[in-house]
Amino acid sequence: MTECHRGMTRRRVIQGLGCGLALSGFGAPAIATQRELVITSDLNTGQYAVFREIVADFGRRVGVRVTLNNIAHEANKTAIRNYLVADPPDICFWFSGARMRQFVQLGLFADISELVARQNFAKPLGPLLKTVSVNGRQYGLPLGGLFWGLYYRADVFARHDLSPPATFEDFHRTCAAARQAGLIPVSMGTKEQWPAAGWFDHLNLRINGLEKHMALMRGEMAYSDTSLDPVFAHWAEMIHDGFFLKHGTSYAWQQAAAFLAQGKAAMMDLSNFIQGAMPADAVDQLRLIRFPMYNASIGPFEDFASNSIHIPARARHQALAQEFLGYFYQPEVLAKFIAPIGSVPPRSDMSPGDNPLMRTATELLRASQGTSQYYDRDTEPAMARAGLNGFQEFRVYPEREKAIRAELDRVRKRVYAPA
Amino acid sequence: MKTLWRRHRCWLWPVIFLAPGVILFWGVIVASSAQSLAISFFRWDGFGPMTWAGLSNYVELLHDPQFYTSLKNNIIWLVMFMAAPPLGLAIALLVNQQIRGMRLVKSLFFMPLVMSQVAVGVVFAWFYDPTNGLLALIFKAIGATAPALLSNPEWVTVAVVIAALWPQVSFCMILFMAGLNNLDESQIAAARVDGAKGWHMLRHVVLPQLRQVNFIAIAVTVIGALRSFDMISVMTSGGPFGSSNVLAYQMYEQSIEAYRFGYGAAIAAVLFVVMAVFIAWYLHRMLRMEREGA
Repeated sequence: MTECHRGMTRRRVIQGLGCGLALSGFGAPAIATQRELVITSDLNTGQYAVFREIVADFGRRVGVRVTLNNIAHEANKTAIRNYLVADPPDICFWFSGARMRQFVQLGLFADISELVARQNFAKPLGPLLKTVSVNGRQYGLPLGGLFWGLYYRADVFARHDLSPPATFEDFHRTCAAARQAGLIPVSMGTKEQWPAAGWFDHLNLRINGLEKHMALMRGEMAYSDTSLDPVFAHWAEMIHDGFFLKHGTSYAWQQAAAFLAQGKAAMMDLSNFIQGAMPADAVDQLRLIRFPMYNASIGPFEDFASNSIHIPARARHQALAQEFLGYFYQPEVLAKFIAPIGSVPPRSDMSPGDNPLMRTATELLRASQGTSQYYDRDTEPAMARAGLNGFQEFRVYPEREKAIRAELDRVRKRVYAPA
Repeated sequence: MKTLWRRHRCWLWPVIFLAPGVILFWGVIVASSAQSLAISFFRWDGFGPMTWAGLSNYVELLHDPQFYTSLKNNIIWLVMFMAAPPLGLAIALLVNQQIRGMRLVKSLFFMPLVMSQVAVGVVFAWFYDPTNGLLALIFKAIGATAPALLSNPEWVTVAVVIAALWPQVSFCMILFMAGLNNLDESQIAAARVDGAKGWHMLRHVVLPQLRQVNFIAIAVTVIGALRSFDMISVMTSGGPFGSSNVLAYQMYEQSIEAYRFGYGAAIAAVLFVVMAVFIAWYLHRMLRMEREGA
């Protein structure tokens, strides 16, 4: 999940720009300019441009000075640990789920349950409310989400007379037919490891369901548990039948997506950001389906990862920050914010927009019976590190299954050991 | 005041001149190494409370299969990097001739040193790409299939080291070129009068004069091999499944990605010991050389 990277100098410029923009909106010093709001964001170029306008709008309306600092998405992941403790902004960006819980347990995110209750966010958020809750209290608001499913090109499927698979049996048939036609059935680049973990998520959610999957993610179930046997067995069979891109570990996801865009691969398991890696004419042909069903009585449960916005517990302007969230989380404002990346709107009272892939993703999400986030977001970071490694290895050497699962269990026992 | 200064200046001047270096060395190197060593005895996620863990990080290290893979790769790096000084010398001898166009050749060999390691890594990763890379095209031209070097657990480290060798060889070349310029002309002339040429000239007249340079080239190469990090980060991220990991990268991965600073610090401590052994040897050799020279 690469994002646009920004250097320090750029950041200074942007800092200045943010200040300037916010200031230019309300030149009149008569308004109480002492009130101030500091925001640290981790957005890519397109989304940042929109967010800057939203922030400036808010500043004008409420009559406050807003300072907006945008840092690179990846850099934010390490910087946040410093600034939450040392010099917190009033608003920051992070990820809901386990990654949020970690900070909540350390008392670094403010409880915003009152705001959520006052604005009645529970209704439009529905099941998504759980992703920002710890013990029934809310510590953030979910932003646009990443829905994970199978992507294929409609024209390529038509040309080779392939049909989009609905069940595991269909999937095997489609993949075999794709191979016959000289295509790579599933393009998966595992250089960055996470695509293999996503495949594991999907298989486990389909075969064992959400409850068991989350138990595994929380470290309550062993990786050597027999209920995981069919997951690895099915995966090994797919590998054995040559369904995946050869030498997958050599390719990043963008390179793997290129095979799909060029019509050399039939399908790919990814999320909406796939659109950014393809030319417009390929995106027009792109279709999204849910990962094939294993057993009609289980699920469908889906991987749906959502980023989120938070107020640090030590923020200096708590009330103003809450006011900003109230403004920002209005359906029309939020819609503007998520439009550039085409993600699934978090509020059910928002229109899914005119992007057909976004609409499909929203429909599939609403048809699901529950969601997990993604392997490396649901499980502890140290466990995730080992898991990503293990799944990448399994994808190449399925015969090492026993050793890999034993190693994962060794790590699980350590990571989730009572302190 | 003036007399005070006069009386003490014999030791004040050295103190003033040494202070910046000493303070920096103790503050930035020694103190942080000591702190890092201290952290290795704790369990710490980077900002929560630190809990005493005793030697458990080190015990775990002994049972971590990844640790042995990283250590093995560090050794592969070290051994393969030893090719840099002789290759650098060979190229230096080659380009040290008065031939037309040699300046262009020299600058071409010098190029990789100017480029950032990250750029070298990215370019080599493209070069190794199994479908569109140059290597794949070459293999295709002779009717063979290129191996996917970066996804092959046996060959991946070798492939990364080859990429890292490119700038390292040119660095050694620069060192040797400087050395060749400082050769004692009279000795060479005398040897020539005695009928020495070719291999004998190199072996018995030129190389002994290059001993100092040679030593520096080897030392720099060993250190370069042990602190290898950027190439691995860019080309493989330690993958596939940790098979190209080295200690320096594993330390980063454990601390920054898995939030296990204690464990990362323990890896750093082991790397420190490995380096310390080498540095001790280096200092020993250097002192001896200085004494001999004096």
